[in-house]
Amino acid sequence: MNCEEFQAFGLDVGTSRIKSAEEAAAADHAGKCAKCAALAESWDAARAELSLFGDATRNAETPARVQMRLLQELRAQKRPVEIYRRGGMIAAWGLAAAAAIFGVVSWQNWRTEQHRLKANKNNPAVSAVGAASQSSQSGDYVIVADEDTGAFTPLPGALPVTSDDGSIYQVRMQRASLGALGLPVNQDGASDWINVDLLVADDGTPQGVRLHEDATESATLQ
Amino acid sequence: MKVPDERDDVLLRRAAKGDENAFTVLYQRHQASLYRYALRMTGSAWAAEEVVQDVFMTLIRQPKKYDANKGEVGAFLFGITRNRVMKHLDRLPRELSLELQSNSGVAKEPVDLLTPAVWAERRERVEQVRGAVLSLPAEFREAVVLCELEELSYEEAAERSGCPIGTIRSRLHRGRALLMARLELLRDVPRRATAGR
Repeated sequence: MNCEEFQAFGLDVGTSRIKSAEEAAAADHAGKCAKCAALAESWDAARAELSLFGDATRNAETPARVQMRLLQELRAQKRPVEIYRRGGMIAAWGLAAAAAIFGVVSWQNWRTEQHRLKANKNNPAVSAVGAASQSSQSGDYVIVADEDTGAFTPLPGALPVTSDDGSIYQVRMQRASLGALGLPVNQDGASDWINVDLLVADDGTPQGVRLHEDATESATLQ
Repeated sequence: MKVPDERDDVLLRRAAKGDENAFTVLYQRHQASLYRYALRMTGSAWAAEEVVQDVFMTLIRQPKKYDANKGEVGAFLFGITRNRVMKHLDRLPRELSLELQSNSGVAKEPVDLLTPAVWAERRERVEQVRGAVLSLPAEFREAVVLCELEELSYEEAAERSGCPIGTIRSRLHRGRALLMARLELLRDVPRRATAGR
């Protein structure tokens, strides 16, 4: 080992960074070279002092308050995520409930509409009677009325017929059903139930209609 | 939930989801070595504390900054610590005078084991060595801290510093020479003072 090599490796003597063969060569060189021996001695003294400083800081650790601050920060970071997640869940459930309600209501409307269209497909007169009979199925009644002395309102297109030529049916129907017989209907009270006398000819076609005495006040022909 | 044996990257993933246990284990694994490095490089307990806190804050706020393909979590944390320390040292001339004497972070030895005179002398010597280490330029100081105080191999020190082994050897060589000269000077001051009486 020469002086240059000693300066590169010789000061690592006593550490794990140098192999034993190099260590022996360095010691051998220091024994021969006074300059390198002085360097080694100076470094040994410096290293001893350096180790004092190293020992004084060997067990140093971060104060506990730092860990507390960091955990607080971690909690603060976590909270908004939880809030957003919970808010998202509530919004999703709300939307799902609204969609379900909308679906049910739409389906019911569709069914009602389908029933109405089916009824309208038939003869308007029959549909009017059908509506009357439908109302009878739902708890209302159809009776053969006594002969009434009042005048019938003739239906559009019907031939003049007297009450003797046909039968009079007392029916309970929704006022909108009068529209199916060709009569104008006040739309404001279209869903009102009214009692009417229906004059039906011998061939089964309706000829005229008149309000029954028991009709509600609002059920007036327009 | 078993946490203590988990790998660092697994702990980091859990910590990123808010798992406090995972974060605590990760913190306890690395805080001491990072703090010691920062303390020995800055010479200030206050600065070292702030550096370590800053490093882990970064980990909490931006856990995705860690890329497992680039290395281990420990190396990642050391890299951040090193950057923070270097930034601190850049600002040092404005801050040093306020900190040097008061808050060195050097552990106090138990007084009752030593006579007051020996204790005072040793403490003074430690402060002198600390001052000598801190007076080294940052890159030489880093080589001395990693190789002499942390007792790392050249390979480990080079990896941590992000430079070739030859550079670390060269820096250590020059750092040692400067340190020896400073300590020699400090040793001579009391001698000269004694001789002058």
